[in-house]
Amino acid sequence: MQEATFLILTALASGSQHGYGIIADVREISGGGVQLRPGTLYTALERLRADGLIAVDREAIVDNRLRRYYRLTPAGSDRLAAEATRLRANATTALMRLSPAGGAAT
Amino acid sequence: MSSDLEQRYRRVLRLLPGWYREQWEEDMVAAFMDSWLTGDPEAGAYIAKAVGPGWGELASVTGLAIRLHVGGASTPRRHAWGQALRRAVLAVLLVHAVLAVNVLVFLLWSRRLVSWLPAPPASLAVVPSGMWDTLYYLACLAWIAIFVTLTLGHYRTARVLATLAIVPNLVALLQAQLTGVLPAPFGPWVFWILVDLAPLLAMTAFHRDAPSAAPRPWLAAMPAGYVLVYGPLQALQVTGNYAWLPDFSGMCCILVTLACLVHAPRAWSRSAAGTGLWSLTLVLLAAVAAALRIVTITRYLNDPHLINVSLAELVIMLAVVALVAPDAARAQATAPASPPCPQAMAA
Repeated sequence: MQEATFLILTALASGSQHGYGIIADVREISGGGVQLRPGTLYTALERLRADGLIAVDREAIVDNRLRRYYRLTPAGSDRLAAEATRLRANATTALMRLSPAGGAAT
Repeated sequence: MSSDLEQRYRRVLRLLPGWYREQWEEDMVAAFMDSWLTGDPEAGAYIAKAVGPGWGELASVTGLAIRLHVGGASTPRRHAWGQALRRAVLAVLLVHAVLAVNVLVFLLWSRRLVSWLPAPPASLAVVPSGMWDTLYYLACLAWIAIFVTLTLGHYRTARVLATLAIVPNLVALLQAQLTGVLPAPFGPWVFWILVDLAPLLAMTAFHRDAPSAAPRPWLAAMPAGYVLVYGPLQALQVTGNYAWLPDFSGMCCILVTLACLVHAPRAWSRSAAGTGLWSLTLVLLAAVAAALRIVTITRYLNDPHLINVSLAELVIMLAVVALVAPDAARAQATAPASPPCPQAMAA
């Protein structure tokens, strides 16, 4: 799973969000490292919808603009959990090997 | 009231298919405008007037447009076109790869790696001399790698290699154009565009959402194409019996004609299902072959016999393609008109 995809799913894990909400949340989660453009976001959303990982939750009109809110589907939650577990296992292994006790002798 | 910035962004969004814009344009515009406007009215007014969507945004929308126009499995009617286009690109790359295999064979033969084999005729020997020659032949051979990597799903690698592989021919054309030795004013350019540039651009239809082709039959087609088609033609040429051999464009017309003749019974059979995509692929390939034939016919302006032969190749191909065209039309007609609407998906 690409980092941007992982971050979009993570942004939706705490509740439904509209397009710009996802962009802002992804920026915050990544510490400013990932700045999604709307075109990139909607490419990812299109793919995630096609894969059944997200769905449209509701629509609202705010400041005369349509806001469509997206949410994780159960399949999306499962996929995110599996990916997070995998990343945590990799990170744990890396940190263990970097620590003086677990690392290779130098 | 919409701002200049919003108008400019909406113009960019026109790249997207109508059905997609109908569903998502307002959402995208809202996200885009929110990402620019800061809440400060003065700054907002300046940004709305002076700032544009930018190259990055243009590139990301273009990427989305390509994905949707020649889409993956989730997109509607264009799915049939996308599938047919991917097959047509693979077929064109297969031709490139078979030609590259031929270069490889003659390269090895010219180096006399098989000692008992007599030397190839001087006119067919491949002996690169100098850096430019070496680059040219490397670019030829690269098509084997391009075909294999694309078939195996390494799309980005294939695109990078293809971008590099078309450069030598482009440089040669530019050089010929600038030095005034180009044999015809536009023919060689159109040939390069059709044979080199167009397949490279069409390779954007290969992306991770698109269904991948079964690699084995395509990979097997490369040696088979050489052994069964190109090798015998080369053997004729080596033995001096080449007077009646068609040129490259003629060969393309003949191959498409034969493929249509083989495919036509299935396309007309009521029991055979799923033939439409191949029919559509053959129609696309016929369009490319016809364009090649028309462009290269200008080489024979002083030879009425060859003009007649070329026209015959073209007319026969078009007549035979008409046999599979109805099936190709049905392939599009049976594709869904639009994807499920968002609300339905949200349910």
